[in-house]
Amino acid sequence: MDSSPANKRFAEDIKVTFPLLSDWNRTTTKDYGLYNDVSGYGRRATFVVGKDGKIEHVEVGNTAIDPSGAYQACDLLMKKKKSE
Amino acid sequence: MMKLILFSLLMSVCAVVAFAQTPQAPQTKLKVGDLAPDFSLSDTTGNKVKLSDFRGKKNVVLAFYVLAFTGG
Repeated sequence: MDSSPANKRFAEDIKVTFPLLSDWNRTTTKDYGLYNDVSGYGRRATFVVGKDGKIEHVEVGNTAIDPSGAYQACDLLMKKKKSE
Repeated sequence: MMKLILFSLLMSVCAVVAFAQTPQAPQTKLKVGDLAPDFSLSDTTGNKVKLSDFRGKKNVVLAFYVLAFTGG
C-alpha cells in the first residue's frame, strides 16, 4: 500500500534483492481478502505460489512475520522440483 | 453510591461502544490449492510485475507487509 517512491527509498536503505511492489489502490490486497474496510489497511500475510500458479502455503496475521512456514513451503517445492 | 452506579454504567456503555467499533480483521478465503489471484503492480522503478509472468518458470513468495517499514 506504500507508494513506489516510498518503497524505492526503503529498498535502497535495506538493499532488497527482490521486487518491492506497491498496491497503492488496494486492489490486490482486496483480491487476496486482506483489506480491512474500517481501518483502510490490509493484514499482514505470506503466500507461497507454485510454478503452476496455485497457492502452496498461506500465513495470515501476526504469524506472517515469522517466515519459517514460508521457508518450509519453499523447501517442499524445491524437493518436488528435484523429484520431477 | 448513585455516582458509583452511574460511573459503572457509563464505563460499561463505553466498553460496549469501543468493542463495537473494533475493526473486524478480514479473513482471506484463499486456501492451499487455489489459483492465486493474478495482479500487475509497479515495482520501485515503475516497471509492472505480473504474477502470471512467473507461471511455469518460478515459485513466488508474496509477502503482504502492511505498515511495517515505510509508514503507509
